[in-house]
Amino acid sequence: MLYNIHFSIDVDVAMPVEDKSKSLLPFLSSPKLLPNESEAEFQSGLQSLLAELDNPSPLAVALVSQLNECLWWIKRHTVDKELILHEAMARLLSKAGNHWDTYDNRKVSEALERYLDGSADKDESTWIDDILAESKLTLSDLRIRAFKDAAKHIKMVDDLIHRQHQTMRHLQRSIDSIDYKSRLIKRMDLELAALESKQSAKGALTLDDEPS
Amino acid sequence: MMNHRRSLANRYNALKSTGPTSAAGKRASSQNSRKHGLNVAPDFESSPEYKALVDLIAEEGFSGFACADIASSLLNYRRVMDAYYDTYTSPEPVNEFMRDMNVRASNPIFRELLSPSGSEPQDLRDMAAFFASMQRQERCKGGPVSSRTADTHKLIRYQRNGIARLSRAVRQG
Repeated sequence: MLYNIHFSIDVDVAMPVEDKSKSLLPFLSSPKLLPNESEAEFQSGLQSLLAELDNPSPLAVALVSQLNECLWWIKRHTVDKELILHEAMARLLSKAGNHWDTYDNRKVSEALERYLDGSADKDESTWIDDILAESKLTLSDLRIRAFKDAAKHIKMVDDLIHRQHQTMRHLQRSIDSIDYKSRLIKRMDLELAALESKQSAKGALTLDDEPS
Repeated sequence: MMNHRRSLANRYNALKSTGPTSAAGKRASSQNSRKHGLNVAPDFESSPEYKALVDLIAEEGFSGFACADIASSLLNYRRVMDAYYDTYTSPEPVNEFMRDMNVRASNPIFRELLSPSGSEPQDLRDMAAFFASMQRQERCKGGPVSSRTADTHKLIRYQRNGIARLSRAVRQG
């Protein structure tokens, strides 16, 4: 039906970073992909996000993996938004015709998908044009009506996308917190080392100054 | 492939059904309302993954309590996201036949189905009204994509709670 649309993700290929630290990922269930999705693209997105980590601790890597999954869900839901619109267009179109055959929603859906893709053959294009003409609609009219018809479900998809953005914000804050914590620990270690070396130097000087 | 007339007759006869009668059937149908299982309190502490996660997180300088909190929050978040994927990939089935049928054009078939029992015109109208009402319900659900969106939308609050718990555990740790 209409939901076989493929989408591509342009992600720069980054250096692999799994070897930089121990990972929590084997102990967590991994995000699953749909049959028509490319694992290489998913991994490439993950690697590019991981490459941006200054300090890839196991927890930070696990959180970045969740962040990558959120991005993937946003892409899925964005495609769904268009598909819902196509579904509503097909539904309106199948109701518009007075003939029995136009009530086959699946047939109309498939023909409409090809029509919108520009891959419909002459018969299909004529058929869709005839139904549109019969119902006195243009394609843009149909799209507007479909948008109104499917407003409830489009709002739901927007909610789902918004939720993923909120989740990403939470994850980003958590990653920042881990990064800040590790920087703080490093800084304190350095300050402690500096104090110790200063103290030992002072001790050596005091020993030197003592009268024999 | 089942023809249109046979399918309508089956649906009309199914109205006379009163549900499962056997113990096994009743047991199976008692689970009908169980969708994702996210309302069940999980026991992460006894899982081997939990122990491994706690040990690895402890190496990052978190306290024992924080490690336990982060590990269980992470496992809980993954549980929610797995349910999210499962709901998205297997939504409640859409009855395409009911959604797409032309009730008005089916009137002659209804008449033919009812004629052996010597039915009144009112019976025909009742039958058409019944199918029209079922069709309205089916069309409210939308198509397969709308249906899976509506099902996934119900899990938003679980995801919100899951990520808030994880984020709090990491930042307070």
